[in-house]
Amino acid sequence: MFGSRSGWDDEGVLPPDSWGRGTSRLPWGFAFVVVLLVVGRLTLTPHLTSPALRTWATVFVAVCVQALPFLVFGVALSAAITAFVPASFWTRALPRRPAAAVPVAGLAGAVLPGCECASVPVASGLMARGVTPAAALAFLLASPAINPVVLVSTAVAFPGQPMMVLCRFGASLAVAVLTGWLWLRYGRHEWLRVPSPPHGAGGRLARYGEAMRHDLLHAGGFLVVGALAAATLNVAVPREWLDAVGGVPWLAVPVMAVLAVLLSICSEADAFVAASMTAFPATAKLAFLVVGPMVDLKLIALQAGTFGRAFTVRFVPVTFALAVLVSALFGEVLL
Amino acid sequence: MSRVTQSLVLALLGGVVLWISGFSTSYLNYVKPGFRPFLVGAGVVLVVLGVAGLFTKRKHDHDHDHGHGHGVAWLLCLPVFAILLVAPPALGSFAAARSQAPALPKRDPGAFAPLAGGGPVDMPIGEFIGRAWDDDKKSLTGRAVRLTGFVVPARRGGEWYVTRMQIACCAADAFALKVLVKGIKAPPRDTWVEVTGTWVPHTFGKMPNGLIYPELAGTGLARVPAPAEPYE
Repeated sequence: MFGSRSGWDDEGVLPPDSWGRGTSRLPWGFAFVVVLLVVGRLTLTPHLTSPALRTWATVFVAVCVQALPFLVFGVALSAAITAFVPASFWTRALPRRPAAAVPVAGLAGAVLPGCECASVPVASGLMARGVTPAAALAFLLASPAINPVVLVSTAVAFPGQPMMVLCRFGASLAVAVLTGWLWLRYGRHEWLRVPSPPHGAGGRLARYGEAMRHDLLHAGGFLVVGALAAATLNVAVPREWLDAVGGVPWLAVPVMAVLAVLLSICSEADAFVAASMTAFPATAKLAFLVVGPMVDLKLIALQAGTFGRAFTVRFVPVTFALAVLVSALFGEVLL
Repeated sequence: MSRVTQSLVLALLGGVVLWISGFSTSYLNYVKPGFRPFLVGAGVVLVVLGVAGLFTKRKHDHDHDHGHGHGVAWLLCLPVFAILLVAPPALGSFAAARSQAPALPKRDPGAFAPLAGGGPVDMPIGEFIGRAWDDDKKSLTGRAVRLTGFVVPARRGGEWYVTRMQIACCAADAFALKVLVKGIKAPPRDTWVEVTGTWVPHTFGKMPNGLIYPELAGTGLARVPAPAEPYE
């Protein structure tokens, strides 16, 4: 399948001109990677054929490949925010009072079409530009859940059930705004690592490229961590035994919420998966749709990488608890 | 991680993504066909960033500011290893056997067009299942159809499912569409086949609980190469 891959492989090994100038060390680590790839391709590949391993690898690569364009898009947008949009724009666009800025930022999430991988770097870029963290966090939580692409895919997955779309929108926005307000009231600055805007050197374009490189290397690495975890659970958790749990209402909601965290499905696709879980009541499906875009394994890894561990260990459980509570409430009242 | 290494890793990842999407169809094993331009775009951006990084130097090296996080960038090589060493194929019988029967979106029972033509009708397995369960006019009755999919052995001996995985977004959300084939000896698992036959109408009135698949009385079987687009 990859018979003629040598073209770009070799490109990577050719020493570029820049090695000659000055201080940069030879990239021995990378050379080692290339050697491993070539040797592994020749010796290991014929033996790596177990169906479980192949299925795992397919899901792992699928999660990575699926998320990568969104990550690149998010990183590009984030870098554009920090490099081209002046800080004064945000102070004018958002209400001055942070408490009022939170719901406005949450609603603004409706216009960024993408999944959760794009929203982390964008929120980080907003913070670097001086947007109050609570508002940026509300945006971070809301945008993957309430943007038009996600709502349309939810409507397609649940035909004839417009309440599901409405509840998803309402519950997700409510959780995002509540979490933002909680952060405003109880959050401390030292928990959150606010990224510094890339400073000084070079023209705007150089700074733009520099910010993108930095975010891609960093967030991309954490995305891979999340993809590893998601693929492993996807292959290891048998879906059948979930049916048994689905019949118990008070258990169904938390189980679907935990499942949303573990499976880490892109928010543009999760509605189809939720719809396929026929054994579960509507409220549990709603919990799946509300939790998934806000808390999942790849998102936790991305957030820890971007905002720091001290932030993530507090933010993730609070968001998860609020998401479960709010969706249970919406589901009981409206569905 | 030095700047040169960072650039090379970005370019390597970008090159592989570009390779599977721009120069081959193996990206179809992971995502929907419509995703191709986004993958090509992402691959190009990564390659450009990587190559540009090789030829530009940062004026103020502030690696020490956040050098602690950049070891994690090595992980970007893992998808490259997975793609080149394992060359993961489309999901097959292993995944299908573990997949739950999906709830296909309920279609309007009147929405099924009558089947045209004389010979066997080619149709996606998803459509066959839809017509089998939801069609009030029972348009499948007595009609020869031809389904294309791979072989998943059934638990009961001798019977097997002609199967296609359906994905909404990527292979992580895949589920199996299965039709039970009767009257034809099971080919080896994961073989791609075209199976011809007629629908066996179900005898129950209401859908029973539990896993249940529509049935096909098989009359003909042909092995076919795996299609470029493996999912429905």
